Amino acid sequence: MVSTEPCLIKLQAFEGPLDLLLYLIKKNEVNIYDIPIAVITEQYLMYLEVMRELNLEIVGDYLMIAAELGLIKSKMLLPKPEVEEEEEDPRAELVRRLLEYRRYKEAAGTLLAFDILERDVFTRIIQDEDDSDEINQPVRTDLWSLIEAFRALWNRKDFSSISNISLELELLTLEQKVSELITKLKTHKNVLFEELFSENPTRFEIVITFLAVLELIKSGLLIAYQDFPYSPIQILYVGDNPPYYSKVVDEIA
Amino acid sequence: MEKNNIKKAIESIIFISERPVSSKRLLQVFQDLKRDEIQKYLDELVNEWNAINRGFKLHEVADGYQFRTNSEYSDIIIRFKQSKPFRLSRAALEVLAITAYKQPITRVEIDEIRGVDSSGVIGLLLEKRLIEIKGRKEVIGRPFLYVTTGGFLETFGLKSLADLPTLKELVEIEKSLEQSAKVY
Repeated sequence: MVSTEPCLIKLQAFEGPLDLLLYLIKKNEVNIYDIPIAVITEQYLMYLEVMRELNLEIVGDYLMIAAELGLIKSKMLLPKPEVEEEEEDPRAELVRRLLEYRRYKEAAGTLLAFDILERDVFTRIIQDEDDSDEINQPVRTDLWSLIEAFRALWNRKDFSSISNISLELELLTLEQKVSELITKLKTHKNVLFEELFSENPTRFEIVITFLAVLELIKSGLLIAYQDFPYSPIQILYVGDNPPYYSKVVDEIA
Repeated sequence: MEKNNIKKAIESIIFISERPVSSKRLLQVFQDLKRDEIQKYLDELVNEWNAINRGFKLHEVADGYQFRTNSEYSDIIIRFKQSKPFRLSRAALEVLAITAYKQPITRVEIDEIRGVDSSGVIGLLLEKRLIEIKGRKEVIGRPFLYVTTGGFLETFGLKSLADLPTLKELVEIEKSLEQSAKVY
């Protein structure tokens, strides 16, 4: 393989095995109703191999379709019966699924063409006096917002060189990262989510730090909160001084 | 109330409302009026706001009426609000589209169409109140059934689900795609 980098960029763009298949069909400029199964299967498996090398944890769903492709391929190799039986093309079911998926992929695209609230058009914002208090209260950040923040960080960083991953020798364990975070937070008490990461974090560092944060939140040592919905996520250390922080914690909870 | 004033009263109610105001809701306030009379005032208001060419218009969304800014000012408003523009991932858009067209639908049925697990994305869409749970399917395991919400219509500026391109229209788009693919 000449370079794995273009593959990596493409891989991130696939929403699943069907999406990958549609991409391969388009890339090879073949007719979706008459897919050259052998060629497509071979390329499909090649992409899977790249994913495996990159340790992407999404291979399960991809393997199901790989097995299906293998089955279709073997069926197509069987000699056709001499008598003209109306037997269904082994590819028919897969084609039906691909067409259906493509239709909804298309539908998803058309949604973006509408004038979207808070992107293209805006309404008046009215703050009811009743819940203005509630709005001023800090809110506990839920898991999805954390994952969103993680993803934002992940996408923002320009990981130009893949060799970063393989050559990283100073790999920290999760335990080391956890204690490193505790030390950092004990002195600062309260930091922005982004501040937990170094200036130019590697992919590995982003992942391990994020895992450590989740671990600490789960064990109740950290609290992730926002001053109000959609404001920056802040991380508060509540580990070993509960009395002092209990008020804040109460407010957030 | 004098006719012309009724229209202005309706307008003022829409102005102060946070969510789209339905004619049904207005009917509760203007008890002497009939539904088609209220509808006539609403139609007039939409036309008048369209005609005077201001920074915002009166829109019919999610079975109601709401003032919305014109899309050409989105950049400047986002700068003013210092907000992030609304964004959904491709996966989320896919699940939303599938739910919109096939509702009520279970997670397994969505997964089946996409070929991947969609539970995370469903959680996100539930949280953003773009979809909601509406009952369970009476099959083994009694899985939840998901439907799109009024918030979905508001977000995409749709009067109702009928405003979405029909599946037939989508098939047409597909065909034209195939045509252009063959040209290559």
